[in-house]
Amino acid sequence: MNTYYAANLLVYAGVDIIACLALNLQFGVSGIVNFSFIVFQAVGAYTAAVLSLPPDSANGGFQIYFGGYQMPFPIPWVGGAIAGGLLAIPVGMVVLRKLRSDYQAIALLVLSIITNEVITNARPFLNGAAGLALVPPPLSDQIDPNTDAYQYLYVALTAVCVVLVFIVVNRVVNSPYGRSMRAMREREIAAMAIGKNPVQIKMTVFIVGGVIAGLSGAILVGFIQLWAPSVWLYPETIILFAAIIVGGRGNNTGAILGALLVPVGFEEATRFIPTSFGPPGLVPALQWVAIGLLIIGFLWFRPDGVRPEPRHVFEGAPVQEDG
Amino acid sequence: MTVATAPQVVAHPGRPLLTASDVHRHFEGLHAVDGVSIEVPPGRITGLIGPNGAGKSTFLAVLAGTLPATGGTIVFDGADVTRYPAFRRAREGLVRTFQLPSEFARLTVLENLLVAAPNNRGDSLFGALMGRRYWIDDERRIVRRARSLLQRFGMSGKESDYAGNMSGGQKRLIEIMRALMLEPRLLLLDEPMSGVHPKIVLEIQRYLQDLRAEGMTILMVEHELHMVERLCDSVVVMAQGKVIGSGTMASLRRQREIVDAYLVG
Amino acid sequence: MDLYVAAFGFGLVGMSVIAIAAVGFTMQFGITNMINLAYGEVMISSAYVAYYLNRAGVTIWVGMIAGALFGAAFSFLLNRFVYAPFQRKGTSHIGMVIVSLAVSLMIANLLLPIVGYYSVSYQDTTGGLLRAGGIVLTTNQIAIIGVAVVLMLAIHGLLTYTRLGKAMRATAANPTLARNCGIPTQRVIDAVWVITGALCGLAGVVAAMNSDSFAIANGAGFLITALAAAVLGGAGQPYGAMIGAVIIGMVTELSAAAWAPEYKEVVAFGILVLVMVLRPQGLLAKRGALAAAG
Repeated sequence: MNTYYAANLLVYAGVDIIACLALNLQFGVSGIVNFSFIVFQAVGAYTAAVLSLPPDSANGGFQIYFGGYQMPFPIPWVGGAIAGGLLAIPVGMVVLRKLRSDYQAIALLVLSIITNEVITNARPFLNGAAGLALVPPPLSDQIDPNTDAYQYLYVALTAVCVVLVFIVVNRVVNSPYGRSMRAMREREIAAMAIGKNPVQIKMTVFIVGGVIAGLSGAILVGFIQLWAPSVWLYPETIILFAAIIVGGRGNNTGAILGALLVPVGFEEATRFIPTSFGPPGLVPALQWVAIGLLIIGFLWFRPDGVRPEPRHVFEGAPVQEDG
Repeated sequence: MTVATAPQVVAHPGRPLLTASDVHRHFEGLHAVDGVSIEVPPGRITGLIGPNGAGKSTFLAVLAGTLPATGGTIVFDGADVTRYPAFRRAREGLVRTFQLPSEFARLTVLENLLVAAPNNRGDSLFGALMGRRYWIDDERRIVRRARSLLQRFGMSGKESDYAGNMSGGQKRLIEIMRALMLEPRLLLLDEPMSGVHPKIVLEIQRYLQDLRAEGMTILMVEHELHMVERLCDSVVVMAQGKVIGSGTMASLRRQREIVDAYLVG
Repeated sequence: MDLYVAAFGFGLVGMSVIAIAAVGFTMQFGITNMINLAYGEVMISSAYVAYYLNRAGVTIWVGMIAGALFGAAFSFLLNRFVYAPFQRKGTSHIGMVIVSLAVSLMIANLLLPIVGYYSVSYQDTTGGLLRAGGIVLTTNQIAIIGVAVVLMLAIHGLLTYTRLGKAMRATAANPTLARNCGIPTQRVIDAVWVITGALCGLAGVVAAMNSDSFAIANGAGFLITALAAAVLGGAGQPYGAMIGAVIIGMVTELSAAAWAPEYKEVVAFGILVLVMVLRPQGLLAKRGALAAAG
């Protein structure tokens, strides 16, 4: 198997897993329907790109963007993660405070659509529709990116991030704080009546999710070395939602499973269909139709997903039932 | 056995624990609560009665902070809580239950109680990130407390069942236990017996009497008048958003207007 | 200054288009409690139906009727086979939003291979320009304003004077009570989807007429503008949607003149955000986007 193909698969898998773990925290565990998730991944990618790119006059000056600080690894990745968290603050303050959940979802969806439009049209900011290209891959000074060894390195870096994110998310979800999140998701008014501050919990979840999403963007942009609005259109968030719904919401392993089945498995499965099949663009269009069907199908037949949220049983539980 | 739910001894036994002064709640032109002033004495069960639509549940919600008051003040144990959001009042010890089932359905019965416990080091982002070892002691302590509550209320065997699968009466008990986990000083109960099997009604009644014996203060919206007679030391009568009388049931029966407005027979 | 007077004229057309779309959208929400995120895609599909008829030589006005009929049928079937079953199953509000989003994705992508990615436009050689003051509009645009006015009056008449309209208002206010009073809520809801679907389809054709060109990708923009007007006016309030449409139609056109035309939807979004922050219940509603109690 071609090393580049394997690395591509593994890096995308890692990025999708990280993204799904974050979205599971927001949506599966806490009930925040973040339809703008992809924007947070995008802000991380753009930030990492702008931190690692040379000033825009370089490479013949065919791109216009702000920044270009040529920072070495790991600063772009850290910066991307922080950017994701920072974006979550104003967005969360506006959307998460007083609105009922379906309006929150819609506001976030519209945000996703509009942000993409604005970035596309505001050319000097992030080079508009063309996006940023020739993003220097991390550690490219030390190791030649064209070698197999570099591919292994990148996969290893991604894997380290996956493990880190998994540990963080696991700790949060399986803690008393995670329990408070679930209570808030179940019945917010009752959660308030037992002393939980829903705004504070939602903001925390939104920011933590934003940080992780930003990191996933930084990882991805370092690998594919370009980032344009066409990469982060609003339906990309829907794929991740499909992954969570299929894999099992509220369950971290379910999120990983969903990431492997939907964004990864799906893309891989359709890779083998020749692109000349049918009119141009048919295969990607049918992919989207299938995603929609997956969501609707699972919501109808198995809303909890393949691996539902586990029931928490505590050590020393009494065995027999009371009368 | 008494569980550590007894509140601290109130510093001024004579002073009301909660005072509502000229509380208003109007919404969309309707004055659901129209200038209500009451005093809730400590260590007693006070009933809040009145015909349908009198505004009792709305008033309870305003006291709890679930609904903001549009006018008036609420003073709880000397502190003006009028502007406090509901979660802050709960943390101060002013805790409510709900008339409709409000359990956390996809949490287990035990988790419903655990989640209400304050002072858990793991109940914050920092605590969670620090890992299990950081908060496991608090958690174990709280599990012990919760289990003894479950035992007291006869639901030990159900601790690992989903709360959403419990019967109406069991859900009501879960809510009461959940409220007790907060170590409340004043319990605001919204029709605690409604929709509950008669057998469990008697149990709840017994529990409330036990709680009062331990020094708990309770304000209870209730419909069933014989329940009110049995449980409540005094009652406040509301109609159309206003208080039309207060005192013991016996003294109220002597007031014709009250009887006419509400108490039939 | 001329620019702004002309923009004012465009604003009149814009608000007409948005009004037709927003009233349909808000009535769907008000009466069936469904935030139909596929609304924009149904609009676009109807615009394409009119486009194919137009290419076959049919005038755009007949195309408009066809678009309305298509929108009515499509929306009715959508509810019958997708939304209503999920609602009957007890799916939460947020679940319904996810369902409608999935549906919108499917509609867009089922259409794409058929109609292609590229923008198209209607052919209409009739009609000329009309000038009044500094306002310059085509006769088609004037006609659109006329259609919108007629439709708004019709909706007003429907809701105020007809039995169906009163049944709709009762169902919107309290479906259980309405049913208990003998109102055939199922039939009312079907009627709502047919009527609002017709508005949706018509709005799609009219919006396409008012643009230089359109493509599937415009569906999202249509949805956002209708949504913004509906929320601004108060979710579920048809008269609110009309007011919202007036405001958004005018503000977006004036800002396009002052600023940049490609940011029209951004302005609509900005208004949506402002409304959600400052007055989530909208201008007219009693309880719109605010968190539901209990």
